[in-house]
Amino acid sequence: MKKFVIALLVILLALMSVSAYAWAPKKNVTVIVAYKAGSGTDNTARVLSKYATEKIGKTLVIQNLEGGSGSIGWTALSHARHDGNTIGFVNLPTLCSNIVEGLGDYKIDDFIPICNHVNETSLVLVGKDSPFNTLGELVAFAKDNPGKLKASTNGMKASNHIGSELLAKSAGFTYMAIPYGGTADQLLALRQKEVDFSVAKEADIAAIMSEVKILGVFAEQRMPSLPDVPTLGELGYYDKWYGSARAIVAPKGTSKDAIEFYEAAFKAAMEDPEYIAAAEKAGVTTAYMNAEDTAKLINQQYDFCVNEVAKLWE
Amino acid sequence: MLETLGLMGNGFINALYPVNILAMCAGVTIGIVIGCLPGLSAAMGVALLLPMTFSMEASTGMIMLGAIYCGAIFGGSISAILIHTPGTPASAATAIEGYEMTKKGQAGKALGTACIASFFGGLLSCISLYFFAPLLGQLAMKFGSPEYFWLSIFGLTIIAGVSSKSMVKGLMSGALGLLLSTIGMDPMQGVKRFMFGQSSLYEGINVTCALIGLFSMSQALSLAEAKIKQRARATQFNDRMMLTKEEFKTIAPTIGRSWIIGNLVGILPGAGASIACFMGYNTARQFSKHKELFGHGSYEGVAGSEAANNAVTGGSLIPMLTLGIPGESVTAVLMGGLIIQGLTPGPNLFVGETAQMTYTFFAGFVLIQFFMLGIGLLGCRGFANISRLSDAILIPAVTILCVVGSFAIHQNFVDVVIMMIFGVIGWLARKFGLNNAAIVLALILGPIGEKGLRRSLLLSNGDPRILFSTPICWVLVALCVIGILSPVIMDKFAGKAEKEE
Repeated sequence: MKKFVIALLVILLALMSVSAYAWAPKKNVTVIVAYKAGSGTDNTARVLSKYATEKIGKTLVIQNLEGGSGSIGWTALSHARHDGNTIGFVNLPTLCSNIVEGLGDYKIDDFIPICNHVNETSLVLVGKDSPFNTLGELVAFAKDNPGKLKASTNGMKASNHIGSELLAKSAGFTYMAIPYGGTADQLLALRQKEVDFSVAKEADIAAIMSEVKILGVFAEQRMPSLPDVPTLGELGYYDKWYGSARAIVAPKGTSKDAIEFYEAAFKAAMEDPEYIAAAEKAGVTTAYMNAEDTAKLINQQYDFCVNEVAKLWE
Repeated sequence: MLETLGLMGNGFINALYPVNILAMCAGVTIGIVIGCLPGLSAAMGVALLLPMTFSMEASTGMIMLGAIYCGAIFGGSISAILIHTPGTPASAATAIEGYEMTKKGQAGKALGTACIASFFGGLLSCISLYFFAPLLGQLAMKFGSPEYFWLSIFGLTIIAGVSSKSMVKGLMSGALGLLLSTIGMDPMQGVKRFMFGQSSLYEGINVTCALIGLFSMSQALSLAEAKIKQRARATQFNDRMMLTKEEFKTIAPTIGRSWIIGNLVGILPGAGASIACFMGYNTARQFSKHKELFGHGSYEGVAGSEAANNAVTGGSLIPMLTLGIPGESVTAVLMGGLIIQGLTPGPNLFVGETAQMTYTFFAGFVLIQFFMLGIGLLGCRGFANISRLSDAILIPAVTILCVVGSFAIHQNFVDVVIMMIFGVIGWLARKFGLNNAAIVLALILGPIGEKGLRRSLLLSNGDPRILFSTPICWVLVALCVIGILSPVIMDKFAGKAEKEE
């Protein structure tokens, strides 16, 4: 009898937990990450997955499908079965610029936004021994010596190249962009003084903070973590936010119930004090946004890629 | 100083906690198994097991990952020796001499040599990890674009050494490899080269796929071909694995040289164990008193390659830990593990509370080498069974491992196709007497050299003098000249010695 009561209770509990949402995954959830195991995106995805597993009730299995500047993983995500058992992380604006560049065979509406996870603002950097102490000095020198300053980027037309172009075009100077394979090499070149300046994202420089000077931030307001660093807009240059965001999306066709389930689960995970502590330790700048706001962000980033970024290369 | 010694001692005490010992045993065993499975590289093994360490103490997690790393680098030699299939790219050079030894019935000795050389390579590399970490890290920091160009050229001069039979065919193989390395997105302008609409070729040919194809698949094809012509002979080995005192004396200088090479290569970002094994092998050949044995099963060659690739392990940790620059793919994954634990790579790993964890990891890294020696020597007989398999089982088994291994990299079928294409290329290359190792070397070094050269010229506005602008450049140029001339010089010396006799 006792066993029967316990069994009944278990069933009841199970029913309750399911009925809280109209939908819940019945098996482990595959989470596609379009970058290598151990990369920045992978690290942040794993931190969140660990705490989200509890809220979702099934294990989140990260699948790293790297290559093709993200397009291989995102192609797989867009073709995945839309039964709610596959979701993935997308990087903005890289996803959008891939579509504009014609990498991969997906379109922007092949992904349904669930929520946003991380926002990283871009920064203008020089080496710690650089003669430039303010962005104004750097721009003045660049204007007097057209094409003389060199900037390292993480690749031709890659995110940080877009950043330095935005600065140069808005401030009206010419410079030489030198592509390095990735952000690590890009920043090494800056520290080796092979180049004069660089644009990179905040999490990229966490480990080398003492070796660089931050001259400006690509934000609308000064960042709370860097109260002394002016925004580019303050100085009369590019006045909008630029950086990278990582959002969680599902393939087109995934049911609304499933999207709502994940939205609530990830929100709860990101509000979990244990997650917050772990994210802080790992240097993750969590920026939760609901599905609606994430959709706006993705569309805004897509417009940015179509209209503004394309113009940079003309 | 006294404080540092205290930290070191404490590190050893902490590393000897039962949970850490368990992590070492498990890590080394898993590492060896992953290493000897062709297609499962050390980086993949560490990445696969990275999530397991999230819930562990930072030091235990890092020790476990370090153990997998070391185990896998050694484990690669087991399949390289027994089935002529390097389990990881790091053992590509071991396959040359190791398999020849197996054919001579000296598989046991080859495995023993590999194990002992790996042990000493790894152990000696800990010395630099302990004492030169900050110092050596600074040297690597000075390598800019021109230096990388020369580094890759220096690497390419090794082709002259690895292809002893015919220099012309060796250079042809190298040229083929360089040509193949241009496939993918152009690193400077973003232009698509020879991609034929395949987005999976965007980042170039996956070297692991190419390696599996060139070394493993082509081997299966050659075996299958030989099977039709003649009955395969089963490889037996009953020889002692332990080396005699004499033999040990012979390989001791080789281990010393390979240690230095491996350590330096490990410290240099971008160049990993896969290059170090060839450099160690080549140096062993140049300094050997028994050059005639090279190409016909020289245990000095095995020792040269294995000591070098394991010496990379300690070296590659140095720039990662001190500067946050991973020297190769495995350390990139290890760095991910560190960051997840809330530790920022950099000089601050050596101060305050985190220094405790760093020195525990260092001590663990020392102890790992002993576990690798023990488990390696005891377990080799078990792994040796692979080589006793008849070809009828071996050929399909190797083929399956090739397919699974190449698929497992990205869970992408295109990689399997690429692997198969390289299998056929490798099989044809063997038939025409070309050198598969030279193809791979050029495939790895090509992009490094191309980026170094083009970036240098972009930085200097096309002025080639930038390539000779620093003392490091000149040192590397000198090394290149020595590298190119060494086979000729060595031949002359060898000829002279013979005449005098």
